[in-house]
Amino acid sequence: MYKLILNILAACLVSFSSVAQDISFPALKGYKISTEYPVYVRENLWDFIDGAADNYLAYGFIDVHVAEYKKGRAVIKAEIYRHSDNIMAFGIYSSERSPSFRFVNLGSQGYIADGAINFFKGNYYVKIKTYSKKEKVLRAEENLAARIAAMLPGEASMPSMLAWFPSDGLKQNEEVYINESILGHSFLNKGFKASYQVGNDAFSIFIIESNSADEARKTAETYIASTGISPVETAESKFVLTDGYNGSVFLAWKDRKIVIISGLAKDQSDIADRYTSEILK
Amino acid sequence: MKNLNRRGFLKTGIAGVAGIALSPSTIPQTLSQVTDDIIYRTLGRTGLRVPVVSFGVMRSDNPGLCKAAYDKGIRLFDTANGYQNGNNETMLGNLFKSYPRDSFFLATKVKAAGITREGTPTQETTAEDFLAKFSTSLSRLQMDYVDILYVHDISNPEMLEYKPIVNAVQKLKKEGRVRFIGFSTHRNEAAVIDAAASKGDWDVILTSYNFQQAYRKELDAAVHKAAGAGIGIVAMKTLAGGGFMDKEKTKPINTTAAIKWVLSNQDITTTIPGMTQFDQLDLNTTILKNISMTDQERQDILIASAEPGLFCSGCQQCLASCPKGLAIPDLMRAYMYAYGYNNPAQAGELIRELGYGNDPCKGCTSQCAVKCSRNFDVKNKIADISRLNDVPAEFLA
Repeated sequence: MYKLILNILAACLVSFSSVAQDISFPALKGYKISTEYPVYVRENLWDFIDGAADNYLAYGFIDVHVAEYKKGRAVIKAEIYRHSDNIMAFGIYSSERSPSFRFVNLGSQGYIADGAINFFKGNYYVKIKTYSKKEKVLRAEENLAARIAAMLPGEASMPSMLAWFPSDGLKQNEEVYINESILGHSFLNKGFKASYQVGNDAFSIFIIESNSADEARKTAETYIASTGISPVETAESKFVLTDGYNGSVFLAWKDRKIVIISGLAKDQSDIADRYTSEILK
Repeated sequence: MKNLNRRGFLKTGIAGVAGIALSPSTIPQTLSQVTDDIIYRTLGRTGLRVPVVSFGVMRSDNPGLCKAAYDKGIRLFDTANGYQNGNNETMLGNLFKSYPRDSFFLATKVKAAGITREGTPTQETTAEDFLAKFSTSLSRLQMDYVDILYVHDISNPEMLEYKPIVNAVQKLKKEGRVRFIGFSTHRNEAAVIDAAASKGDWDVILTSYNFQQAYRKELDAAVHKAAGAGIGIVAMKTLAGGGFMDKEKTKPINTTAAIKWVLSNQDITTTIPGMTQFDQLDLNTTILKNISMTDQERQDILIASAEPGLFCSGCQQCLASCPKGLAIPDLMRAYMYAYGYNNPAQAGELIRELGYGNDPCKGCTSQCAVKCSRNFDVKNKIADISRLNDVPAEFLA
């Protein structure tokens, strides 16, 4: 009977697979590790990072493990955020990235800024921080970052979709992944955004990869319909919209990909066409 | 309605654009719809007249959304030094640099460094660090001053006495780089607010306040005391941490009702719901002019309040009351993994790692002595989840 109950329990619970693993922080020579913090999960992440939690939750946050490394007065705090997949980890990382930071070769990509070392790898986003200005402590922090990066599983590469963005005029390290509400619209989700500067023209390109060509078409049509236009299905459709909130927007789609360009004036369709054609070729 | 069929932007030309622009739009107009029937309240001794709905910018990266909020009459925009690692402040700075500075209120928050889990300062909690962060915030915001500077996340009344930080914010106020000073609190709120009400240091308090908080009586008393002392009260986390009552997102919260419920407390001046969509903005701005709760809204809040939670807050208050010294927060986390996330493998792994076997409470008295701040039935949850100890990992993976 007991075995039966266990089997029923297991059957009830085994509806989703998982790659569960708890985090063991690596040792750092001369430092004592303290992990007095609880493991924060979705429902109590607020208790740890307050209002910033919303942004993490929007990117498939699962949990965060926290440790403090102490040596004398020096403290290095390490936070390992686990997200649902690599794109989500890139999403939260990129939302907090600034092109002005000093980028380093850590995990998929990382940077150093004001005593902080942040990077992402696989499904993980790692944030390490010290308030010490001492060179020895900063070196230890870098050492710790390298150890954590080596310890974490997952690919140390950027999302492959970033290669879709044309290189001409692309502003380096400003690409982001937006999981929800691109341009503030609830029907536009899960897309990459890149910023461009071409001469005096600054604009943004969004690329959404839908699950199917049909889904891509429906999403684009929803956007067009929101402006009061009745769309007609075409093999390769390109529209210029006046979005009541976002101004002029160039919209195109082909197969599973949707391309949205904002920031260009209505009469700059030549630029939009050039970029759109390259992405959708 | 027009039909469009285009294969290239180059072919469509301006005429097509104009055609679309002139079409009736289902996207609402945004410009200058501010009217006098917006409900304002005064933010304590600051004297600021603020609409009852403000904007928790937090994770919005879209200046168009903030502009639309401004156009609809929202005037207080709330950000923080740490949101999006500063990108949030940068976005607001780029937007508002072209607006008259006296046409909006900007609140930001700076977190003191080195605060312990208990909310107490350490040797890293310095004025220098705090002031440097604030200078960075002002630089990102491209402003000479902010209207409200909150010390971010105070959970221990001891911090209200911590001179390096208190003196730092007062210095900024004297210098005119900050008009009003305050703090935000989202743990131990009642005690912190109560302590602040007895001091003259603070102009504004930003507190979590929603229908699901278990310590309603204490929090309301503290908020009332603070408001009576002239401190302006701003409410955050008004949706109880999200738009849904359950992890599976099958039970949406009536967000309008939740905000109206908060505003039914006259001690609350304004709320700062987070928004990332124009739909949310449209919904929330209806409250700007109508905060009366309908019977249905009251009923929705009543139902949502009674919804049991799955999730341990990790407060650790239970630890002292367990005779066996069990790591109860970890056991509750395992329970949450299994039933909240439908992730039995993760739950099972944690249970095995804890090493308590399949009956951690074995040998203990039938009357569980554990006191849970969220009133969890700890004993039964432990008994339930610990059965995973005997389920082979391969059955769960």
